[in-house]
Amino acid sequence: MQGFPGPLPDLAQLQSTMVAIERACSLIQMHMNPAEAEKIINPLRQSSMPYQTCRFILENSEVPNARFQAAGAIGDAAIREWGMLTNENRKSLILFCLHYVMEHASAADAYVQLKVSAVAAQLVKRGWFDFIEAEKIGILIEVKQAILGFQGSDMQSAGISFLESLVSEFSPGTSTGMGLPKDYHEQCHSSMELNYLKEFYCWAKSAALNVADKIVSCYANISEEKVCSRALRFMFQVLNWNFKSSPSALDNSSSKSNSGSFGIRPDMGLLKKFERSLLEPGPLWHDALLSSGHMLWLLNFYAIVRQKHSSDMLWFDSPLAVSARQLIVQLCSLTGTIFPSDDGEMHIKHLTQILSAVIEWVEPPNIISGALRSGRSESEMIDGFHALLSMATLTSTMLFDNLLRSLRPFGTIHLLATLTCEVVQTYVIKNDDEQTWSSEALDIMLEIWTVILGRSGNDMKISAEGISSASNLFSTIVESHLKAAAESAFEDDSEADYFHVSVSRRDETLYAYALIARAAVETTVPFLTRLFSERFALLSQNNERMDPTQTLEELYWLLLITGHVLTDSGEGETVLVPEAIQDGFSGVTEELQHPVIVLSWSIISFAKQSLDPKMRNAYFSPRLMEAVIWFLARWVDTYLMPIDAAKGQLGISGHDEGLQQHPQSSKKVLLSFAGQHSQGETILDTIIRISMTTLTSYPGENELQALTCWKLLVVLVRRRHVCIHLVALESWRDLARAFANERTLFSLNARLQRSLAETLVCAASSFKDLETSNQYVRDLMGPMTAYLVDISSRNDLKAVAQQADAIYMVSCLLERLRGASRATQPRTQKSIFEMGCAVMNSLLTLLELYKNQSAVVYLILKFVVDFVEGEVAFLSAKETSILVNFCLQLLRIYSSHNIGKISLSLSTSLQSEAQTEKYKDLRALLQLLTNICSKDLVDFSSFSNDAESTDIAEVIYVGLHIVTPLISLELLKYPKLSCDYFALISHLLEVYPEKVAQLNKEAFDHIVRTLDFGVCHQDVDIVDKCLRAVNALASYHYKEKIAGKEGLGAKALSSEESNGEFQQSILSYFLRLLIQLLLYQDFRMELAGSAADALFPLVLCEQDLYQRLVQEILEKQSNPAIKTRLASAFYALTSTNQLSSSLDRNNRFRFRKNLQVFLIEVSGFMRII
Amino acid sequence: MSDEEHHFESKADAGASKTYPQQAGTIRKNGYIVIKGRPCKVVEVSTSKTGKHGHAKCHFVGIDIFNAKKLEDIVPSSHNCDVPHVTRTDYQLIDISEDGFVSLLTENGNTKDDLRLPTDESLLAPIKDGFAEGKDLVVSVMCSMGEEQICALKDIGPK
Repeated sequence: MQGFPGPLPDLAQLQSTMVAIERACSLIQMHMNPAEAEKIINPLRQSSMPYQTCRFILENSEVPNARFQAAGAIGDAAIREWGMLTNENRKSLILFCLHYVMEHASAADAYVQLKVSAVAAQLVKRGWFDFIEAEKIGILIEVKQAILGFQGSDMQSAGISFLESLVSEFSPGTSTGMGLPKDYHEQCHSSMELNYLKEFYCWAKSAALNVADKIVSCYANISEEKVCSRALRFMFQVLNWNFKSSPSALDNSSSKSNSGSFGIRPDMGLLKKFERSLLEPGPLWHDALLSSGHMLWLLNFYAIVRQKHSSDMLWFDSPLAVSARQLIVQLCSLTGTIFPSDDGEMHIKHLTQILSAVIEWVEPPNIISGALRSGRSESEMIDGFHALLSMATLTSTMLFDNLLRSLRPFGTIHLLATLTCEVVQTYVIKNDDEQTWSSEALDIMLEIWTVILGRSGNDMKISAEGISSASNLFSTIVESHLKAAAESAFEDDSEADYFHVSVSRRDETLYAYALIARAAVETTVPFLTRLFSERFALLSQNNERMDPTQTLEELYWLLLITGHVLTDSGEGETVLVPEAIQDGFSGVTEELQHPVIVLSWSIISFAKQSLDPKMRNAYFSPRLMEAVIWFLARWVDTYLMPIDAAKGQLGISGHDEGLQQHPQSSKKVLLSFAGQHSQGETILDTIIRISMTTLTSYPGENELQALTCWKLLVVLVRRRHVCIHLVALESWRDLARAFANERTLFSLNARLQRSLAETLVCAASSFKDLETSNQYVRDLMGPMTAYLVDISSRNDLKAVAQQADAIYMVSCLLERLRGASRATQPRTQKSIFEMGCAVMNSLLTLLELYKNQSAVVYLILKFVVDFVEGEVAFLSAKETSILVNFCLQLLRIYSSHNIGKISLSLSTSLQSEAQTEKYKDLRALLQLLTNICSKDLVDFSSFSNDAESTDIAEVIYVGLHIVTPLISLELLKYPKLSCDYFALISHLLEVYPEKVAQLNKEAFDHIVRTLDFGVCHQDVDIVDKCLRAVNALASYHYKEKIAGKEGLGAKALSSEESNGEFQQSILSYFLRLLIQLLLYQDFRMELAGSAADALFPLVLCEQDLYQRLVQEILEKQSNPAIKTRLASAFYALTSTNQLSSSLDRNNRFRFRKNLQVFLIEVSGFMRII
Repeated sequence: MSDEEHHFESKADAGASKTYPQQAGTIRKNGYIVIKGRPCKVVEVSTSKTGKHGHAKCHFVGIDIFNAKKLEDIVPSSHNCDVPHVTRTDYQLIDISEDGFVSLLTENGNTKDDLRLPTDESLLAPIKDGFAEGKDLVVSVMCSMGEEQICALKDIGPK
């Protein structure tokens, strides 16, 4: 072949290499000595110009794996040596690969052909901007001819498979790295989209058309069917392309403005849940996809073939059926400017056309699900659902409903409801293992409901028929689930972590159910009230005659669904009463008739029953109580003294305002019934008493108590106007008193005590008067500090302290202090600081005493971390110095206990526990230093007296002196720790480089060692931070030098070590290291910027060394061609772009550019062996 | 707390009461617990319910702090568990005798000679090597429920 690169070795040599590679490949295949095999194969991949050898193997070897390796080697080598190959070389490599694939189209071991094809695609992409247009066409014309079928169906398949490789190579998500900037991939992407993509699509389309007739009339052989399904699959792949040039993506405003008129919505970002995307190819594709009758042909084709195979249950999963359906579903999400601006007429026609075909896949629901139960594959139905989802996403709710009306006497929503009923009923039975499809189907169904019902305003108008369908559907859902709940009531609670793992998934499902209910609030809320009261009544009449468990489980489920219907989850946002519930019930003006109020009252009075010990013991199981607490938390957040009502104004939801008078009054009733001036306070009182009950009367029920502390009580103190009422209540004062002075709450899990302390202290912010707030905190926390001081000053402390009960007590107290300091606010800052100061000495004593109780040590550290975080910004100079001195003492004591300590243990898991504990401690210490650091950035203290003020930087460096020796390279392997550590170090070096010079040698060396470790780290973030740190060091030194000062002084200079070994200066060390990294290792381009920033000052500092290094590198290079290239690249690096020797911003920027050019120029071929 | 002051029993012999009862629900990972008569470090706690509407129970996985065996226990979370007293005392290492006993210097200047070196090689090596190199070693001795073992080692500088 003309222009094939590389010297041609003699035959014997080729033979021997081939045999060696073959042997290595068979070693790998048999899992024998893979390292050995790698040693033989790697040289082939990494050697210079291996093309002739690879070609020989590809053409002659009998071992498919060897051919595979050879193909890979061609790709690797060509990408690496691209710059050294002539244009002829490049083209001939590509053509060789292409011809190889075509000639071996029918050969076995398809993976070899695939690999060769992928290599060809890679090389085409690498040369995309090197070849002129005619050359590209020259290559592609051969592919086109193959695909159009002039040379038989095997060649067709081979051609399509090459296009598949090519398109996936050009899509950023699936491209292979080539050591080029990201820009290059972007350019390739848009060039492909503009010039070739549509053409490729049309080639595949005509290939499919060619064979379709034969398939329809059953004359097709297997390879022709294969061509058809591959072509369809490729078309699907093309339509998954991330289209960028489509103008509609930019021009959002115009499409939005007319969305109201005809119901087509420009919805972006939906469909993501199922990893699908909207398809917006732009107007250029109009002829290919719309006007040519392509859609109709595809739908008919599928329908006819489906008809023919109607008796074959397996056909639905055949490649042809799957790829045809995928293509149809994908075309369903077609949108954007490909449709002319004709008020959506064409788009609606397009959707209706697809719907008329897709409806066959899902209708009638009961027959389909019957067929599925008897073994038919569910894939067609699932695809049908996906198509419906796409339609729902692209249309307004009204239009979506109407799409079906031209085909059926009812709307799409009615169909959707019937389908969902069927799916839910199958889903809740669940005991049949074969019906796993129901879960996937339900997911999609609920997503559709969420899409069409989760909107607001005009996009979500539903017809009366739709409302009644939703209402029926909701009844079916609730009844099926209640039935399932009753049946499962006696099952063991196998999912121990029910409330954590599956909870978000369950909530998502319930949220979708709730949306369905809210679409028909007028009927569904009274329905829920009825179900709830029936069961409540059942319990009241029961008189302990029968086992209530089933009813309890039903109530449990009802509480959950009711909570979702009545409230939104919020998640830290301000929660409003759901719009549908605010706007519904327009005729109601009486409080006691409002269905939502009736439902709320019936649940609250049910919850109130738990205060009665007899009822509690008989019926309020921990699980039921969990649901009660969960419900109350959400309900309180939404309905108790709502913000709208508090401000005396009604919610402005932006639509139909002033249109009707009635909704306003029903809304007013709803928002005010639990308001500040109504029953709000009574309800609040009840809820606090219920919380007290769960905390004291359910010993050991951690789940329940956690919900109470973390969900319910937290919500109570979130809003200030609620807090004002709260702190005035006797029940709240009881709670605070119990916390401060009684022992009962010590039986809570210590973590919950922390949260309780935080909540109680939080409420202090509601007092009008600053002093009252602080006094409240003092009353609350005073007993804790007194107790801690008391313990730590006991004479018999040593004897007592190690007892388990003492340890437990101390841990609880520390957790409480920590909770209180987490609640620090400007209003309570003073009393919290007093609290902290009161225990400072005790904490030091305890740290000493409990040095071997890692759990206590950790609690002390964490308290101090939170305390400093909360306080540091407010403190005056004097207070700061108290705090800082305390922290330093703490660090010293901790360090003296732990430095050089090796823990020994028989058990590896205990050993790793010990290691983890150490890691957590150190993380806390680093956080402590970081928190202290923030004093320099944020300082709210009112006055500062310079004489007394503490130099924060000084403190941090003293802290680092203490902490760094504890941080071993071993510990830096913990990602979070190393992230914290390097963040701190780079921050310090950037902000206070002058302090570095003052560090003692040991500490400085340690920091440098860790930086050295970090620069070679895997994590890009960490490398980046280290490079920034190196940059800071070198820049500082350089600037100081220029100013005639010492800079890093002795630390930057080379020095003779005592043992005679030459010790490099650290700057020259890093210079060497960086150049090494850039040239010889797999350097990541995203770090090029920070590497440039670090390298530049280093080069400036160490000019001589840099020149020597360059010289060394050049001399080592034996190949003269590479040598010249390298020399000119090095020259360009420092001499182009008017680079001067100052460190200003412009200059740095120029150097960044130079380095990028340099890397593109030399990366790759420096790594050749 | 003033009205209901809690007094820790301070006994001359701290080892007399070997365990202390604590509610199962408050025992956390990394704490200690007695399982089947052995002092263990808790490495895993999970809770479940006895039937859907029953009470919570805690499932503990512990590792025997002396022989590293894994033990498990299930306790209703409102019940009390035994928590062992685990103490660690630091001694300076004076000598290692040939029969495998160590000689340790106590705080009041006496020696403690009743402790054997651990038999496991991985624990033994750092102690022996460090001692042979002439380092000044401090060993931590873990003591619980009448058993003792060296559990940590600290180098406080060359002699």
